[in-house]
Amino acid sequence: MTLLRLPSPTAPARPAARTPARRGRAHRRPRVLIAVTGLFFALLYLPIAVVALFSFNSQKSLTVFDGFSLRWYRAFAHDEVLLASLGTSLRISLVAMAGSLLLGVALALGLVRCRTRLGSLAGLVMLVPLITPEIVTGVASMLLFKGLGVPLSTGTVMLAEITFSISYVTVVLRSRVAALNPEVEEAAMDLGATRWQAVRLVTLPALLPAVLASAVLIFALVFDDFVLAYFTTGVDPQPLSVRIYSAIRFGVQPTINAVGTLMLAGSIALIALALFIPRLFGRRGGLDLFSGK
Amino acid sequence: MAPLRPSSRPRRRDTDGTRVWTWLMLPGTIWMTGFLIASLVLVGVLAVGTTDELGNPRFGFDLAGVRALADPAYTEVLARSLGYALLTCVVCLLIAYPVAYTIALHGGRYKHALIAAIVVPFFANYLVRMYGWSVVLSDDGPVLRTLRAVGIADAGTKILHSGFGVVAGLVYGFVVFMIIPLYAALERLDVSLIEAGRDLYGGPVRTFFFVTLPATRQGAAAGLVLVFLPAMGDFVSAQLMGGPDQIMIGNLIQDKFFQGQNWPLGSALTMLLMLVLLIGMLGYLRRTRKDEAEARR
Repeated sequence: MTLLRLPSPTAPARPAARTPARRGRAHRRPRVLIAVTGLFFALLYLPIAVVALFSFNSQKSLTVFDGFSLRWYRAFAHDEVLLASLGTSLRISLVAMAGSLLLGVALALGLVRCRTRLGSLAGLVMLVPLITPEIVTGVASMLLFKGLGVPLSTGTVMLAEITFSISYVTVVLRSRVAALNPEVEEAAMDLGATRWQAVRLVTLPALLPAVLASAVLIFALVFDDFVLAYFTTGVDPQPLSVRIYSAIRFGVQPTINAVGTLMLAGSIALIALALFIPRLFGRRGGLDLFSGK
Repeated sequence: MAPLRPSSRPRRRDTDGTRVWTWLMLPGTIWMTGFLIASLVLVGVLAVGTTDELGNPRFGFDLAGVRALADPAYTEVLARSLGYALLTCVVCLLIAYPVAYTIALHGGRYKHALIAAIVVPFFANYLVRMYGWSVVLSDDGPVLRTLRAVGIADAGTKILHSGFGVVAGLVYGFVVFMIIPLYAALERLDVSLIEAGRDLYGGPVRTFFFVTLPATRQGAAAGLVLVFLPAMGDFVSAQLMGGPDQIMIGNLIQDKFFQGQNWPLGSALTMLLMLVLLIGMLGYLRRTRKDEAEARR
């Protein structure tokens, strides 16, 4: 398994000037800034904490905590409609994950290595969802299905989610592919492997940590997605977030606190997992989600 | 073992490789073109089309949808959306800059943990976060109760069901998009520049405005675009945090497709939204091109 330890040129070179020893008086502790940051973190987590706290409330109130109880979790466990929605969301996420990985990994490999005009055009197409607000992509997907005469259903949500997850997989994996040393692949070919064998036996294993991490991310993102699902879903058990949307629009429903808390915990666990997967494989640093384009 | 030859691979293999990469690229590209590009084109086509009695799109050339955009009711919503989205950008910048600055320059070894702590809740369900935020800002929620206890707010002060509530929702939803690029820019900032500013007897304020801020301008610009895009298209915040007189263009689009069943008008509104965002994007690209050209000189 030494193949997994390919040289990784993306390891960020740390600027030497940032060692604490060299910090001069420009770096006295700025109390005001730290206070602002503290307040920011408090407000960032307050809503999440409130939802979690009141999911354990014994009463219906969202302002007075009466005592600890699991009644809203029990209510969720007996709510057939919400459970069916949960099942729908899980199925959509799994299908979108598999589909977008299959297409996205191949696309990322092709985009980085293919230096034709078609390649750069495909690279542009792939960026479109990232600069289009979700409501536009939602409306557009819905119109496409309606225009083709395809009735909206769980299946149409799956198709739409795959489409938009592909760009995500590609963006995350592109920098990883670019960081791979193509000479290792060519060495495999010098040793008698065909191009396909080299990709399958050398490149893909080297990409595995990043692929697994993006799989987990896609699952979490699709499971939580609301706008796209809202525009492309039919009447069969709607995805959980669409169900939550219709519930919270019509006033407070404490069961939603319980569902929301479970979803928050699930997403946070998945994201933590995705961030740690590359480390499990002995690589330095986590997955670069935002800057490594 | 014979050393690898790093350069001059045989030509045959290069062309062979290109074919393999093209084949790998093709399915994803076809899929994206078929679903994404085609669907976006369809929005444009339907904006000048009509629908039959059942609401199914019918293609033709009818400018009724586009002409309806001139209705003052819609221009008012568009103006409000622009205002709220821009205000959201400004507020996000004002919040994100000190936070990103503190973490990047004073975070020490907790830097990565702190950034992760900002990013992780962002991946949690948007609706649940927004719903929690609306509870927090509600009339007897913790924020207003604290403000009343301190004496900043009085009994009549409201946050929800006002334009202020909508902007608060948008800021909460998208502030992370501002923090990440700013943090990346501040991380790259050469600290000795700040020290040089101090050595040249610039006070903290002058050093900030003449050194730190210009050096991180690109991060701020990227953040502004990243916040403006989703804020402009959002319809949840206005629904949960605002009242009927605070609707944004996203709510209008949603309404035309689900309640009003006026799809040509909905498509025309969607195209209008795209157009506004496109203008914003082009402005951003021109700005960064200019910056890059200046940096190269």
